[in-house]
Amino acid sequence: MGLRSYVVTRILLTIPTLLLLLSMVFLVMRVLPGDPVALRFEKRADPEQMERMRHILGMDKPLWTQYIEYLGGIVDIGYLLENGYPNLGKSMQTYEEVGGQIFSAFPATLELAIYSMIIASILGILLGVVSSKSYNSILDHMIRGFGTVTYAIPIFFLGIIFQLIFGVYLRWLPTGLRLHPSVEPPSGLTIYLSPPSQGFLYHFLLSSIAGLIVSAVYVAMLRIKHVKFKLKEILISAAVFLVTWIAYAYASWYFVCAGELHISTGLYTVDSLLEGNLFTFFESLKTLLLPSLTLGIILSGMFIRMTRTNMLETLRLDFVTAAKARGLKESTVTYGYALRNAFLPVLTMMGLQFAILLSGAILTETTFSWPGLGSYIVQRINLRDYTAIQGAVVMFGLFITLVSLVVDILYAYLDPRIRL
Amino acid sequence: MLEKIELSIVVLVLIGIIVSSGTMYYTTTAISNLSTLTSDVTTLTESVTNLTSTLRDLTTITGLMAETLGEYNETLAALQDRLTEIEKLLAAKTKETLIVGTTDSVEKTLDPAQAYDYFGWCILQNIAGTLVSVKPGSETGADFLPELAVSWNASEDFDVWDFNLRQGVTFADGTEFNATHVKYSFDRAIALIDDIPEGAPAGLEYNKLINSTEVLANYTVRFNLNHAFSPFLGIVSCRASAIVNPTYAPIEEVGYHAGDSRASTPVAFVGPYYLTTWARVGGRDIEIRLDKNPYYWNTTGEYPKTKTIIFRFYSGPSTLRLAVEAGDIDMAFRHISPTDVLDLEDNPSVKVWWGAGAFVQYLCFQTKRAPFDDPRVRRAVAAALDRSAVCETVFLNLSQPLYSIIPPGMLGHTEEFQKLGDANYALTQSLLAEAGYDATNKLTFDLWYESSGHYPSSADQAIVYKEALEASGVIAVTLKSADWATYKQNRDSEIMDAYVYGWYPDYVDPDDYAFLYWASWIHTNYHNATQEALYDQARATTNTTLREELYAQIDEIAAEQCSVVPLYVSSAWAVTHPKIYGIYLDITQDMRYWLIYIGE
Repeated sequence: MGLRSYVVTRILLTIPTLLLLLSMVFLVMRVLPGDPVALRFEKRADPEQMERMRHILGMDKPLWTQYIEYLGGIVDIGYLLENGYPNLGKSMQTYEEVGGQIFSAFPATLELAIYSMIIASILGILLGVVSSKSYNSILDHMIRGFGTVTYAIPIFFLGIIFQLIFGVYLRWLPTGLRLHPSVEPPSGLTIYLSPPSQGFLYHFLLSSIAGLIVSAVYVAMLRIKHVKFKLKEILISAAVFLVTWIAYAYASWYFVCAGELHISTGLYTVDSLLEGNLFTFFESLKTLLLPSLTLGIILSGMFIRMTRTNMLETLRLDFVTAAKARGLKESTVTYGYALRNAFLPVLTMMGLQFAILLSGAILTETTFSWPGLGSYIVQRINLRDYTAIQGAVVMFGLFITLVSLVVDILYAYLDPRIRL
Repeated sequence: MLEKIELSIVVLVLIGIIVSSGTMYYTTTAISNLSTLTSDVTTLTESVTNLTSTLRDLTTITGLMAETLGEYNETLAALQDRLTEIEKLLAAKTKETLIVGTTDSVEKTLDPAQAYDYFGWCILQNIAGTLVSVKPGSETGADFLPELAVSWNASEDFDVWDFNLRQGVTFADGTEFNATHVKYSFDRAIALIDDIPEGAPAGLEYNKLINSTEVLANYTVRFNLNHAFSPFLGIVSCRASAIVNPTYAPIEEVGYHAGDSRASTPVAFVGPYYLTTWARVGGRDIEIRLDKNPYYWNTTGEYPKTKTIIFRFYSGPSTLRLAVEAGDIDMAFRHISPTDVLDLEDNPSVKVWWGAGAFVQYLCFQTKRAPFDDPRVRRAVAAALDRSAVCETVFLNLSQPLYSIIPPGMLGHTEEFQKLGDANYALTQSLLAEAGYDATNKLTFDLWYESSGHYPSSADQAIVYKEALEASGVIAVTLKSADWATYKQNRDSEIMDAYVYGWYPDYVDPDDYAFLYWASWIHTNYHNATQEALYDQARATTNTTLREELYAQIDEIAAEQCSVVPLYVSSAWAVTHPKIYGIYLDITQDMRYWLIYIGE
């Protein structure tokens, strides 16, 4: 099976997987005791008012109708294009769009996941290599002990210990949230454009310059590469000119009419850089440190063990001995030769660990008041917010599927045997 | 080679962008810093001129020394005034932002017609104005201060209420506040009840209480009530009665959601603060910022004292405690556990404030079936409870035993349930013997508590109740628990024999407590026509002695019937940075942020 058909099959397989997941969550939520309607009424609940609320939320319809309507919402492409997220229904507690809620909470979780993964892999692989190099020594035992202990330690416990030491006693780092309470969150890059005084025609005429510049660059590139100019090249450069002209005209007109162009990722470390605000960047790194260290250390245990075992196996192989015999430097042999080979199984592990990472994120987020998807799920389960939980679980499912897909593709790229 | 050049050009351009944007940012920061510095310098020069003029005054004084002593004193007073003025000017230059940590979050909206959660009301109180308000520090909750109304009077039957409104108050969009806005606000709240069945006006039954609102004159408004209602000022002071700006609160549209452009527009209300930022992530607040409303009418008191209030949102009591202890936040209110607050009291880096509480918890009995269809059995269980044990061991004496559903301090509070006593096993045994239970044939029932943290220390409480009940020798209790969602459903489906429930007041008046003995939504299935008649009679008079007597009679029947048994009333506390002042923790449970200031 070629790589392409493999990828396509993998992608197609995610659809029934997600559908199954969705149906299960849909049913399980409704079997759980507790009523989202009763919870909406803070103190006094009048049966008549509750009935009205049940109707407003569409919960008076038969279950299968609700299910079909829900699925119908998800595949509504028009909605997806208009809002940038799928129609996952409205929250049963806050009236807000679940899709919007999830997409606003997701960057926080993603940022935490990325940084913990970086810490876990650096820590895990380095310690694993060191441990395999000093096989059966005291250092090896210590590292192995560290790996086992960190793998077994509860996340919230480690988190609270960190908060107490670095937050309360030393006062070096904030105890929680995504930024120190006195720092304003970064808003990303905002480009203010002039007010729309001239209208579309003006932009259209002005944009021809942009088209000219881009096509000139294209022509210059061809010249540098010494490509001969024939009809094909001329046609392409003309197309480049036209496409750039129209696209630029439309974009500039649109954004000028919108007043400003806003680029924001929701990842505070990225947004603060986009904003050019180094202070907020360092502040967000400072706040990220404790939660990602907590989650990273917990995850690193598995990495240490995997790297160590694989390294031990690889170090015994002939090509390592041959490399040593050739008089290559010790570090070159270890990191350049052995680790490259021992890395493949670890990479697969990383993909699988992402699932664990996300469940760990739920606990880490609660411990550090991190406003991400984990905190969201916990809080929504307490409120029996059916639609919100369905949406969040599907989002987690989608994310894990995507990551394992990427890992598989990376694996195929790194291991030439698969590409053959 | 060419590729490398291209790559290096791209890298160089990227570096250029980062460096130049960084430089630009720092230049702008430097410029803004410079302008602050210049303004600081101007203030300083002002102070110096003030000082020189003071010195000049001083020389005048020496010149006038020979003259009369009275004149001398007068000048001295002027001097004092000037000095305080300068001090104030310098003090104003100190910290102007208060950072508050909380585990709350606005539930849905900040629309008075919809919000009915503690924190939503708290924010509303600081941004929206009501006709009257409860005096900060009030012990009874019945001292009302004029806010948007300057005076009021009720008809003899307490079913017609007239309010004279304050003149010269403007909404921030320039609209002059007058009687039509009051009428509009109440009409809107009532009109939206059908669409928002879970909102506060629906819960407080505005439609059943208020017949019509009339504009008598430009600054006079009249409420015609459907029945006599003496605690009407309490209703008028609550956040569901906040005055809205018709331009920004149309009847057909509901809700100030975060992200809604109106939510960030500061023109909606007339309170001491503007809502300048309201950011939510995943349906939960991550930032609320309140800035001083420069048009606020109450300028004589220089309110609000702190220019900016920023709320930060923590996931739970333990993280909140760590944050206030680490100094990340200036203040934490609510949701700090008794153990934590007692621990923090010895910590010199924070200050703990104590105040009266109005949160009560009570034990409910399912009276529609055995064993609790028999009042003797209910009384027997009530007598065996040990409230002081719970207050001591679970709440570390930060809660007080409660012997009437109306908390102490409020009108109509009695000690009626004292009659049954605490751990009064002799009474329990004799009552249960009458009902046919003894040491061999024990009274057995399920005692339910809520397990997801909706009420404080529920599980610990339940264990102590069980111990005390079983110590009587004639009762066997099975503890059962459910998370809040399930608990509420169990309550409605009436499957629990005995269950612990809690109540926060909507407005501080016995009227908002006494009905708990028979409230239909608690599902005890208990009805008592006499009690309800007494209750209606108490709403129809402001004669405090008469009301006191009526509530005492209600309590007397309640202690006899024991449909609902009061357990304890909590106290309130806040933890702040030591330099924060002006916190009033009174029976209203409100936090009035405009009174808080940061001192030296």
